[in-house]
Amino acid sequence: MKPRFDNAYVLNVMAEDRPGIVAAVSRAVFDARGNIDSCSQTVLCGYFTLIMIVSFPQPPGEAEFLQALARPGGRDSGFQVVMRPFVAERPAPVAGDCDNFVVTCFGPDSPGVIHRFSALLAEKGINIVDLYGQLSGGQFVLISQVQIPRQWDLAMLQADLEHLGREQEYTVRLQHENVFIATNQLRLTRPEGAGP
Amino acid sequence: MLRTDEILSTIQMLHAEHLDVRTVTLGINVDDCAGPDVGLICRKLRQKLTRFARELVGVCDRVAAKYGVPVTNKRLAISAAEFLLAGHGEGAAVDIAAALDSAAAEAGVDLVGGFTAYCEKGITPASGVLIDALPLVLSRTQRVCASVNLASRKAGINMDAVARMGRIIPAVAAATAERRGFGAAKLCVFANIPQDNPFMAGAVLGPGEPEAVVNVGVSGPGVVASALRRRLELQPHLTLGDLAEEIKITAFRVTRVGELIGREVADGLGVPFGIVDLSLAPTPAVGDSVGDIIRILGVDRIGAPGSTAAVALLTDAVKKGGAFASSSVGGLSGTFIPVSEDAALAQAAAAGHLVLEKLEAMTSVCSVGLDMIAIPGDTPAETIAAIIADEMAIGVINNKTTGARIIPVPGGKAGEKVEFGGLFGSAPIMEVRNAGASAGFVRFGGRIPAPIQSLND
Repeated sequence: MKPRFDNAYVLNVMAEDRPGIVAAVSRAVFDARGNIDSCSQTVLCGYFTLIMIVSFPQPPGEAEFLQALARPGGRDSGFQVVMRPFVAERPAPVAGDCDNFVVTCFGPDSPGVIHRFSALLAEKGINIVDLYGQLSGGQFVLISQVQIPRQWDLAMLQADLEHLGREQEYTVRLQHENVFIATNQLRLTRPEGAGP
Repeated sequence: MLRTDEILSTIQMLHAEHLDVRTVTLGINVDDCAGPDVGLICRKLRQKLTRFARELVGVCDRVAAKYGVPVTNKRLAISAAEFLLAGHGEGAAVDIAAALDSAAAEAGVDLVGGFTAYCEKGITPASGVLIDALPLVLSRTQRVCASVNLASRKAGINMDAVARMGRIIPAVAAATAERRGFGAAKLCVFANIPQDNPFMAGAVLGPGEPEAVVNVGVSGPGVVASALRRRLELQPHLTLGDLAEEIKITAFRVTRVGELIGREVADGLGVPFGIVDLSLAPTPAVGDSVGDIIRILGVDRIGAPGSTAAVALLTDAVKKGGAFASSSVGGLSGTFIPVSEDAALAQAAAAGHLVLEKLEAMTSVCSVGLDMIAIPGDTPAETIAAIIADEMAIGVINNKTTGARIIPVPGGKAGEKVEFGGLFGSAPIMEVRNAGASAGFVRFGGRIPAPIQSLND
């Protein structure tokens, strides 16, 4: 993605969820003559987090801009804000052709579970592009959407994940994303190697 | 990016409600195996089937693992065997069936269909040989399935062929008497036989089909039943229109899974993909029942008034969901009501709620016909023929496929339970009322002319 102006930043805002957060952040960007090039938000258990790519025609006074977000009109906004320069031309997180898969894990909650599953994926250079976890009645559901380099033997990978799952008393499944697209969406399934 | 609720709902459907691809059926044209030397025919058949089918099981298993969707059965369907039998006798039919049986075993598939004859307008010598050989063929082979087309919209009903099958079906049952007539479970007679049906016993690679093709049968009565239960728990005051909509949505999802798997298996085998047959095909497993769906739709006793309307709603909604999901929907696509293979239907038949006449009415709106019906072994041949004729008439007049798979259980009496095992299930022997009262009608023979609706060109 190429931002509208040359001086681009990644802006991350976290706050307790309430109406008006997006309005306040976008107002601050607009007041600094900036443009929002891309944005995504999520709310988890009442906590709001927002990530944006913002760009400005001239470098903004960073301290001033952050102050405008944290204390608009002298009042504490309750926002935690992080800003860092945006680099447009970044190498892909995983080199080579990948296919998109979904890993689902169901089992008893215990500290370290996410680490153990994600460490196995990381070991094999598998990138997590989306992660969801939810605790419900002592049972934990973990869903990761991942990009798997095509060099990996799928059956081996499934066996490794299932083995780890059994050790943790988890049911683990690794399935190609197309079965989820086919059953839920009107679009056509993605050809293999098409990337994210 | 996929949404979490989408992922969870698919996981629920695949793993809690046991959605599977019921069958991947590889159709193979074997017309080029014909010739005057039976030994050569059999060798060519084995070579051709092995060449096309040796990767079938491996590819199906690999694709199934990739998507987490089991492919329950892998099967073969050849082009109609009657075309191999021109100029040959019954001995050749038996040898050819044995060759098919061994080739299927070598490929690791459980059934091979296509021991088929087309007789809707007349019986050729080759068709006659095939039909007369059925008792030997179906008693000496494990995997061969046979079918005979007796009627069509354009031809009418060949009552000579119907009468002949009325005699052959009990002969097949008698030849497999030690298995309570199980051979007849591998024999289906049809009106308007489809050319791309992947489901057994009627699978055959019909005329106009490619040299080889992958057709897929998906099922999912359990998935439909669960979807309806979930909706009704949330909203108990839905109308039948709302429930039809829910069935349609579920059928859409199921069909898409079938097409995904089918296309990838076809790619893996290097042959074209044919069709997805979305038929709610029950198994004896608990919860995998069309009868359960009828009960969820509010007909407490299957066979009670309302059963036919419930099956009509179900069949139509399934077809609509399937048609929207794929441009390659074919085969039978609708609802199967095979009595022995559906625990709830078998139970209703045993309790006397579901009788043969009501089943026949239900077949006028389902997608096949009188399927896996055990009847007393002493039912007269003419009565069996007349039951078939009634079923053929429903197909011919309504321009739909109908079939009959009837098992006259040798020595069996109405009300006794017969066990066929595995996916074939168990069922009570159903009473045939008015047995022996149709002989005169069948003995006239000839052909019931094609209906006026056939003159539509």
